[in-house]
Amino acid sequence: MRSNAGVIAVTVVALFLGVLVVTQIQAQDVYSRSLQLETPVSLTTLIANLSERNNAIKEEILDLRHRTDTAREAIASGKGSLTEGERQLGQLRVFAGMSAVSGAGITVRVDGAFDERALSDLVNELRNAGAEAIAINTARVGPRTHFGATTDHALTVDTVAVRGPWQVRAVGSPEVMYVAMTRTGGIIGQFQLIYKGTRFDVSKESVLDLPALATPLR
Amino acid sequence: MTATPAADRTRLAHSLVLLIPAVLFGLLVSIQWRTQSERNELTVRYNTPLLDAAKALQNEQSSLKVQLADLRAELDRIQASASTQSGAAKDLQVRIDDLKTLAGLNERTGDGVTITLDDARGSVAAKDIEKSICHNTDLTDIVNQAWRGGAEAIAINGERIVGSSSIYCVGSTIMVNGTLMSPPFSVAVIGPQNELLASFDDPTQLKDIKQRRDVYGLGFRVSRASGLRVPPYRGALNVRYATPR
Repeated sequence: MRSNAGVIAVTVVALFLGVLVVTQIQAQDVYSRSLQLETPVSLTTLIANLSERNNAIKEEILDLRHRTDTAREAIASGKGSLTEGERQLGQLRVFAGMSAVSGAGITVRVDGAFDERALSDLVNELRNAGAEAIAINTARVGPRTHFGATTDHALTVDTVAVRGPWQVRAVGSPEVMYVAMTRTGGIIGQFQLIYKGTRFDVSKESVLDLPALATPLR
Repeated sequence: MTATPAADRTRLAHSLVLLIPAVLFGLLVSIQWRTQSERNELTVRYNTPLLDAAKALQNEQSSLKVQLADLRAELDRIQASASTQSGAAKDLQVRIDDLKTLAGLNERTGDGVTITLDDARGSVAAKDIEKSICHNTDLTDIVNQAWRGGAEAIAINGERIVGSSSIYCVGSTIMVNGTLMSPPFSVAVIGPQNELLASFDDPTQLKDIKQRRDVYGLGFRVSRASGLRVPPYRGALNVRYATPR
């Protein structure tokens, strides 16, 4: 009897133990993506990014309201809306990479081993920091631009080979883009750890002249 | 009645058998409890107000995008009515509309492929979690591969990919065009189906994603799709520093 009671007690405890071990292991292995589980640091970064984007949309809304009023008045007075149309066309041509552009920005110089995925990540990071136009050496990056590599270590931008050292030039806010690239834990810092022998330099530029897409979109 | 030394030993052995699991039991209960309480404290102290702020900004962005779309549509109507007035205005309107289509500001429909990307479902060893979940770089690789395969229009979970789009990652949250999203991701690609499928099937491409699918259960599937609808880009054009030359 006594020995049976002992066995039952041990079994119960062992069962509990088993359940707890499994729960603990599962807790470590389930990856949750809930926003609630983000750290305060991540949430703060997220808020800054959202806030920046909302401000850009607000500015554009104000600009569009003004342009809508101007166009409406121009038509009412019989002048037509060619001016507004031309302005819109100009803006779209810049946005689509179809016109050569000038403006302030930054240059990222990459001298050494580098690859097409890193180049694609760099372009993604520049776009996130508000780059309005980007070129790699003399190749303009467009809305459908893709990156690749050749067997002799050149990178390709829309199948055109671009050889290192690479100059990635981006028109946009020099301050915002410079900080986004060079901040602690930022993309340049990560590159420096991964591509140890490669030199990365970031500089602010008061004027950059970027070419249009070599092959216009069709 | 006094116990014999043999009975004492048996009792001691029984006690030990119970004591060791009991200690382990206590240890596990306390680990579980501490993990839980630390998480709750942090959430209450810092995250709640930040979380509220992030959600408020996301809601504000949705309503701003609606306003922006309405204004763009209104300007289009004004332009269209003006284009009935003169031939030059009509010509200009056609050029604007063509450019909008190329830049991703008009909706596109057509055949192509759909790519689904998802975190591995089911339990994965803690050390392999990073390899079993999707990252923003997986999405940039997929988008790059789709353009290489001749894509004409791409959207990730309904967000159109345009010249200014970025696929951004903060913590475990992914943001495309300022819209927060989480897996599963559905990438709609309009373009030549056979070329696109061949591009994704190429074993020399997306090697990392394919290896993680085969070894760690990452969800990655490319399938032929008909009648896809890719919405227009709804964000800001944001042309402030760049001037045409």
